[in-house]
Amino acid sequence: MEGNSATPVKYDMEVVRWFTIAAAIYAVVGTLVGVIIAAQLAFPLMNFDLEWLTFGRLRPLHTNAVIFAFGGCVLFATGHYIVQRTGGTRLWSNKLAWFTFIGWNLIIVSAVVSFPMGWTQGKEYAELEWPIDLAIAVVWLVYGFNYIMTVGIRKTSHIYVSNWFTMAMIVMITYLHVFNSLAIPVSLTKSYSIYSGVQDAMVQWWYGHNAVGFFLTGGFLAIMYYFVPKQAGRPVFSYRLSVLHFWALAFGYVWLGGHHLQYTALPDWTGSLGAAVSLAMIIPSWGGAMNGMMTLSGAWDKLRTDYILRFLVVSLAFYAMSTFEGPVMSIKTVNALSHYTDWTIGHVHSGALGWVAMVSFGAIYHLIKKLWGVDKMYSDSLVNVHFWLATIGTVIYVVAMWVSGIMQGLMWRDYDEYGTLSYTFVESVSAMHPYYVMRMIGGLIFNIGTVIALFNIVMTVRTAASLRSTNAVAAHA
Amino acid sequence: MSDNHDKIYSTKFQDSMERKTLLMFLVIALAVAVGGIVEIVPLFYLPNTAMCATMAGNDPSCNKTQHKDASGKVIPMDKIIWNPATSAHKTLNDWQPGDGVRPYKALEMAGRAVYIREGCYLCHSQMIRPFRDEKDRYGHYSIAEESMYDHPFQWGSKRTGPDLARVGGKYSDDWHRLHLRYPRSVVQESVMPNYVWLENKPVDVAGTVQTLKVMTIVPFNAVPAKIYTAVYGDDYAGAAAELKGKTDMDALIAYLQGLGNHVKFEEGVNYRD
Amino acid sequence: MSDKHSAGEVPTTGHVWDDDLGDFTNQPPKWWMLGLTASALWCVAYALYYPMIPVSSSSIFSKGLGGWTAISEMEADKSKVDVVRSKFENKLKDMTPAAILADRELTEYVTRSGKVLFGDNCAPCHGPNGVGTKDKNALFAPILNDDDWLYGGKIDDIHTSIAGGRKGVMIANKDLLSEAELDTLAKAVAAGKPTSTPLFTEKGCVACHGPDGKGMAAMGSANLTDSVWRFDNSVEGIKQTIRYGVNSGDPKARIAVMPAFKAAGKLSDVELKKLAVYVYKFGGGKPDQVAEAPAAAAPAAATPVAEAPAAK
Ligand code: HEC
Ligand code: HEC
Ligand code: HEC
Ligand code: HEM
Ligand code: HEM
Ligand SMILES: [Ca+2]
Ligand SMILES: [Ca+2]
Ligand SMILES: [Cu+2]
Repeated sequence: MEGNSATPVKYDMEVVRWFTIAAAIYAVVGTLVGVIIAAQLAFPLMNFDLEWLTFGRLRPLHTNAVIFAFGGCVLFATGHYIVQRTGGTRLWSNKLAWFTFIGWNLIIVSAVVSFPMGWTQGKEYAELEWPIDLAIAVVWLVYGFNYIMTVGIRKTSHIYVSNWFTMAMIVMITYLHVFNSLAIPVSLTKSYSIYSGVQDAMVQWWYGHNAVGFFLTGGFLAIMYYFVPKQAGRPVFSYRLSVLHFWALAFGYVWLGGHHLQYTALPDWTGSLGAAVSLAMIIPSWGGAMNGMMTLSGAWDKLRTDYILRFLVVSLAFYAMSTFEGPVMSIKTVNALSHYTDWTIGHVHSGALGWVAMVSFGAIYHLIKKLWGVDKMYSDSLVNVHFWLATIGTVIYVVAMWVSGIMQGLMWRDYDEYGTLSYTFVESVSAMHPYYVMRMIGGLIFNIGTVIALFNIVMTVRTAASLRSTNAVAAHA
Repeated sequence: MSDNHDKIYSTKFQDSMERKTLLMFLVIALAVAVGGIVEIVPLFYLPNTAMCATMAGNDPSCNKTQHKDASGKVIPMDKIIWNPATSAHKTLNDWQPGDGVRPYKALEMAGRAVYIREGCYLCHSQMIRPFRDEKDRYGHYSIAEESMYDHPFQWGSKRTGPDLARVGGKYSDDWHRLHLRYPRSVVQESVMPNYVWLENKPVDVAGTVQTLKVMTIVPFNAVPAKIYTAVYGDDYAGAAAELKGKTDMDALIAYLQGLGNHVKFEEGVNYRD
Repeated sequence: MSDKHSAGEVPTTGHVWDDDLGDFTNQPPKWWMLGLTASALWCVAYALYYPMIPVSSSSIFSKGLGGWTAISEMEADKSKVDVVRSKFENKLKDMTPAAILADRELTEYVTRSGKVLFGDNCAPCHGPNGVGTKDKNALFAPILNDDDWLYGGKIDDIHTSIAGGRKGVMIANKDLLSEAELDTLAKAVAAGKPTSTPLFTEKGCVACHGPDGKGMAAMGSANLTDSVWRFDNSVEGIKQTIRYGVNSGDPKARIAVMPAFKAAGKLSDVELKKLAVYVYKFGGGKPDQVAEAPAAAAPAAATPVAEAPAAK
């Protein structure tokens, strides 16, 4: 047996602690900005006529804060944790891990300044300007190198499945970031993409889709593959399923970018290619969802008492749901309706809130307990409250966007019996209002949940710290 | 390391990847590269992708792109992309709508930077799809050539507001000024932010001049430098003069008014094939 | 792994990580394996049917056997609505706006199809249903649902306004008037009695606004006696209008530009006619004696804007 527990390994966990706390903080901040921009779409007054706070500048702040600050810190926390524990080894370099922590957070701070200032490259999810892009490349490569080296020095014979996913993420995000960010600077805060038009669109959505596919999906599947079996106390349901769906996703997901560009000025084949492979991704995606669900299936009884497990179950359900919805949205006739509408936004958030955020919080709670050596959170009932706020908030958000998105799409294309358009554009804008309000409320509920989580985490850490210090005193005495 | 005797439940190759970090790393690096290469690389050499250097004279055919009119005759590319050498209008300032896709003028370029800075692309698309309703609402579908000078592209992915690909000439400058300042004073239902500060901001003259120069050296679809130097002078002093005293508002409006009227579309022509 | 369920289950692969992580040797479910194969086949089938292979589109393979293109899909969709439309559109093509107005069925069709045309193109300036839009305390563009017209309310006047655009010009008078004269004039205009002061004639206002101050449709000069105001109607506001004029080129002039929808190529001829009828039917349209003889209804001599913003 490897990973012999008789000789406990010393791990480098301090950096993981910091990433975990940072993630919990960024969850609050990122979703708060989400609530603000949701409010701006419902009530334009909320732009306050201040340039730094207008929708167009805060929206990239939101997307970057939730994906790269929150999501990123979750990935770094769990990544550094999993790679050590599944390898039975310390980090290859604890220093480089700290470099990653400090570097990443400096990048986040610079993003918080950049976006309100309007410093942007104007490409979705890649908005940060070139000096920050350079910093991202450095920090990412350092992380990747340290990670892979740690995998390399593992004590176990085989690489655990989580690490396959994280390695795929590391490689792919490097490709994406490097090629999509190529630009020529005109000043310190402004640069222009070297690509234009059609080529830029394809490079961007190759990037955009795979940021989703490898960062928000691959990276989080790595989390799923560690924390679900851990929390359920059972081995992964099927090794062969892991292998097959991993390679199918790693190879297949990359082809999907074209589904963001159907019917645009690209040649028809790009959209078709993206659409065809998208539909082929349902099964591989469900492979992951099923592997998680079936792993839990021996532990259903725990669901009643284990609130963390609830987060994981619901996240898998949303993962299965949004990886079904996405392929459906890739079908030509469906995309013709859904593209440009709130349906996309609904899909994004069923993935982002339901899958990414839920699985993250499952992992975060697990980590907090392990990292601070407590066997329960400060308040388990608050975990439960958070769970329900997150679930209800997500459902409200997503349902509102489905309704408004489909309505929008239908109104734009509706013809009356005389064969002329039925609705003006602004009629569709005002029809969205109630749903924008509803989304704002759903988002607020979700956001309150994250605040409760942060409170619970801080209290847990504080009690753990005071426990430890009293123990320490006792030991000395 | 002790379990060499282990039974393999997948394949030998899979098993050795799981044992050898470097091997797994390399195989992943290959596997995730394929899709992107297949999808992206052909766009740089296939026809109909507006990858051309027409005006610079390197590739006057834009990778052999051919648009044919209703009777099957090939429409010369310089009807689609403005070519000062063959056009009746020889300079950027003489250019008329319908002369073909042209690079941005100085003020428009400044306005485009404002458009990007303010994140307009997050609410407005600039890509009309070939659907009957989009044709009725916004006009002719967009074609690849129309965004060939757009570094980066601004097609957007969400229509919180209407498509702007052909908004040029739809309103007066004055309407834009009012609308950008207080959208709800003209369109009650609008959810667009008030851009009240644009009028007080002088345009970034140096930055814009630098941008014009950069546009002539980007590796793909660069603007032939002589198009700019012909009207702005070798030192681009003309551009700086044009920008002086202008505000971000003026620039943004100039950009908007120039959108979508470059190509004169003919009925019944398939511009996508 | 002391879980009670593990008894009797398949074995794990034997690998253990982090004390208790492992994986079972369960086979993936059959349906999943079948699904995976089907997915691969699906891609092949799709690639055969649709254009999906990134090579030059000269070969039938790269075009896809189904012959599908986005454009052909659009043409097919268009032809579906054209079936409904063409019955009307074919007639509209050769009709004058006045003749359309005389035909009840066509008028009904046109008002229906004018709704979105007006809403998307005109309402941003003229307000929903032509109620006007506000620019501070004045109108941004004229109200179209009343019977007060700058350029005349006959169907052909309206049509000319839309197709050719409008840009009424009033010169700046700041150098021609003393402060006192300006004050007198502005007060008279504000009271709706411009002719009450001789200055109105002496200073040449009559040349455009007519001897009675009721305006002249030919040049779009405003009626100053009807208390319908385009611009600010306070005495100070009126002074500003008189001082700097309208579209006079003075930097402080009032601006009033109606884009030329025909020159800009924004709307088709039929759409322009539809809009004329649509605007007319807001209720303020003026009956036209010569409706049946379109040739006689020569458009008013107002200058349509030659340089639409698009043409800059
Ligand atoms: C929060 C979303 C939002 C943002 C950000 C936004 N807009 Fe809009 N925009 C709208 C909506 C909604 C409409 C439709 C209602 C109206 O005309 O105001 C609109 C309409 C317009 C129109 C009129 C289009 C037409 O054909 O009628 C223009 C032009 C425009 N916006 C330009 C801009 C520019 C330039 C920016 C950035 C400086 C911008 N918008 C930012 C939401 C937005
Ligand atoms: C950019 C703003 C704008 C748009 C868009 C616009 N208009 Fe106008 N319109 C004006 C202004 C300003 C005037 C007055 C011009 C003047 O005073 O010389 C005007 C004048 C008119 C007149 C003449 C009114 C009169 O009293 O004689 C008609 C009719 C008219 N518009 C109809 C339309 C229609 C129909 C559309 C849509 C196709 C439209 N307008 C779009 C701004 C606009
Ligand atoms: C060159 C022709 C011309 C002359 C001369 C002229 N006007 Fe005008 N005036 C116009 C036109 C055209 C308009 C309407 C502009 C519009 O709405 O587009 C107008 C509008 C006005 C208005 C605004 C009415 C409103 O509804 O807000 C006032 C007030 C006015 N004129 C007063 C005067 C006075 C007083 C004089 C003489 C000192 C004068 N005008 C001389 C052409 C003229
Ligand atoms: C309180 C929770 C949240 C609220 C209220 C919220 C709200 C919003 C709003 C209003 C938008 C803009 C939609 C539009 O332009 O129409 C948006 C976009 C987006 N959000 Fe969120 N959000 C929340 C949480 C999250 C989380 C946790 C993530 C990711 C992990 C996320 C990822 C995104 C992404 C990727 C987009 C861009 C979508 C696109 O461009 O298609 N959001 N969000
Ligand atoms: C097999 C799985 C998936 C497929 C095939 C898929 C497909 C799609 C499609 C078709 C769109 C709309 C593109 C458009 O019309 O503009 C889209 C948008 C998006 N999806 Fe997915 N999706 C999948 C899974 C996910 C998951 C799990 C997430 C979240 C974590 C996600 C996040 C997003 C985001 C952020 C966008 C918005 C992109 C934009 O800014 O326009 N997707 N996806
Ligand atoms: Ca960037
Ligand atoms: Ca988007
Ligand atoms: Cu995608």
